[in-house]
Amino acid sequence: MSTTTTTPAPPGAPAAEERKGLGSRFNMNTLLVEGRALIALVIIIVIFAVMSDNYLTAGNLTTITKQVAFNAIVALGMLLVILNGGIDLSVGSIVGFTAAVAGNLFRGVHVPGTDLTMFPSLWVIIVLSLAIGMLVGWVNGLLIARLNLAPFIVTLGMLYVARGLTEVLLNGQNITNELTGQPGLNNTGFFEIFASKPLGLPLAAWVMIILAIIFSILLNRTPFGRWLYATGSNERAAQLSGVPVIRVKTLIYVLSGLCAAIVGILQMANISSATADLGTFYELNAIAAVVIGGAALSGGRGTVRGTIIGAFVIGFLANGLVIVGVSPFWQKVITGAVIILAVAVDQIQQIVQRRRSAARAVASAKAAAASRQSTDGTSPSS
Amino acid sequence: MFNRIASRSLLAGAVLISLAACGGGGSSNAGGEAAPSGSASGGGGTAGGPIAVITVDPSNPYWKAEIDTATSEFKKLGYEPTTSAHKNDPDQQNQLVETAINDKVKGVLLDPAGADESVAAVQKLVDANIPVVMINAEISKTGLAKAQIVSNNAQGATLGAEEWAKAMNYKGSYVELLGKPSDNNAQVRSDGYKGVISQYPDLKQVGKEIANWDRQTGQDKMESLLSKNPDVQGVIAGNDEMALGAINALKDKGKLAKVKVLGFDGNQDAVNAVKKGEMVATVLQPIVEGTKKAAAQLDSVIRTGETGVPEEKQALDCTLITKENADKVNNFVLTEQ
Repeated sequence: MSTTTTTPAPPGAPAAEERKGLGSRFNMNTLLVEGRALIALVIIIVIFAVMSDNYLTAGNLTTITKQVAFNAIVALGMLLVILNGGIDLSVGSIVGFTAAVAGNLFRGVHVPGTDLTMFPSLWVIIVLSLAIGMLVGWVNGLLIARLNLAPFIVTLGMLYVARGLTEVLLNGQNITNELTGQPGLNNTGFFEIFASKPLGLPLAAWVMIILAIIFSILLNRTPFGRWLYATGSNERAAQLSGVPVIRVKTLIYVLSGLCAAIVGILQMANISSATADLGTFYELNAIAAVVIGGAALSGGRGTVRGTIIGAFVIGFLANGLVIVGVSPFWQKVITGAVIILAVAVDQIQQIVQRRRSAARAVASAKAAAASRQSTDGTSPSS
Repeated sequence: MFNRIASRSLLAGAVLISLAACGGGGSSNAGGEAAPSGSASGGGGTAGGPIAVITVDPSNPYWKAEIDTATSEFKKLGYEPTTSAHKNDPDQQNQLVETAINDKVKGVLLDPAGADESVAAVQKLVDANIPVVMINAEISKTGLAKAQIVSNNAQGATLGAEEWAKAMNYKGSYVELLGKPSDNNAQVRSDGYKGVISQYPDLKQVGKEIANWDRQTGQDKMESLLSKNPDVQGVIAGNDEMALGAINALKDKGKLAKVKVLGFDGNQDAVNAVKKGEMVATVLQPIVEGTKKAAAQLDSVIRTGETGVPEEKQALDCTLITKENADKVNNFVLTEQ
């Protein structure tokens, strides 16, 4: 009887078993949970690479990575929220709102009651805009954690509020020219920095990589990460064992807001203007990436690695469909089908895994009983 | 029981009084300028009172110009305009129309959500005896709206495509970015482009994507299209925002100098891009001029029962904006010199 990797678990508690595997240790379960998204990714890449010579080129891979990065960064914030068993529908609007705030700061802030217009310097603009995104997230978190409101409702409301404020700030005009800044006002250099490509890779991709590493450490190596997984699996139990549930809950929405705000700034640099529609539907793409990456919407299960892979699945698929020349109408159908398929495979796999471990448990129990009988109960149980 | 009835009748009375006050305010407001020239038609009345301006999307510069023009024109004429937007959703449009009817508006200026889809909504207004003037886009039935003032999208697309084909030297490969499929202008413009381009067999379409009138989507799709066709020489876009997204993508890859881009709408960012030589041309829709006309005709209908214009459908021709006249465009208005 083996006593090493396959610990037989009762059929009701596969989540606990998997959570153990979420650390950096590379055991069988991690491979299976994340392998699914990885397999989907490989299949997509192979299919499109066979169909088009222009798919696996360095240029196209850079393009995909940039497009994926925006979604992946939002999805990282979303992952924290989903691990907690919540949902954040307001991130797309926060993306647009942050860009609108930043754009307006570039345009100059009129000081009420005077003729003065203030022009903050570039880094002040960036910090203020990111702070605004965190503020919106903090309001979400406060309402959800302190007042115990449903995350779906609070963030749905915030989706409208933040989008509406975006439209108010932009007032029907895109902000484009002002983003270049004026040398006299000390606010130049926005595009030079935020649309730059260090070492040939767009800045957004670097930010994605750095954030993925930070979030990985946060989830796997800090008390906060353990608390988050704990609250997501069983909030009541976590609270009773001393996890600061309210603080954790508030913080994840702040971080989700921050991620969205970062994307707001990067995307504004990417399309070189702040538009009222910026970030529309980002929340849904982010949720899709997290779920394809193996996270459970009920909370407690999910990884940074899986989420990033999930975002790449969506990105490689969207780009490939264009390159192969699939009709735009069918593109939507296929994208939706892949999302459902990925999640369905996940569920089936879990059911199979559960049955297998249950069967294994039964078998080992029988074996133990049998050996006990034959040796008159002297054999030590494994 | 009695209490409840009493309180209800009190409430009803209060509502009636406030309504009467509104009506009174409206008529006194316009007392001086009411000119009963066409009162024989039976639809005669006085100017003033609420007007509902229902348009598509105020966050887009084009419709913002439409809303701003309508609001200021109606205020000038002595009305109290309210504005709302349906974002091209017929269901939303239906709700807004019902609200306007309940609000007992004197007239409606409507930028419709689809030609066929909007017929029912306009019919509702007609049934409620509220005059409607269509602006920007038409509905598929005549005899309902008092006037339909639309920019001639087909003509505009032809103008733009001719100029772009010339810039392409009538040959080469190109890609197309289409607007929202639910908006029939997307198809009208695409067909207009096709009508011209099909005359030049050396112009070859190598890709076609829907980019939802949106700049960021336009940029994403263009980036993918560029990976597929690295040597593409032209881009035709159903509107300026998508064209500007494509320009961003081309700039990023350092290919803009070799690619001719065509836009549509004449919004200020696009006009600036034309000035800089980044865009070959855009097509200006005379939305400010059209909205002014629509406001004047709706006012005329409310006062006299007639628009004062013989045709219901009035097409306003679009203007081609190239480097030559780009500096004369300011926020959708072309100043003639």
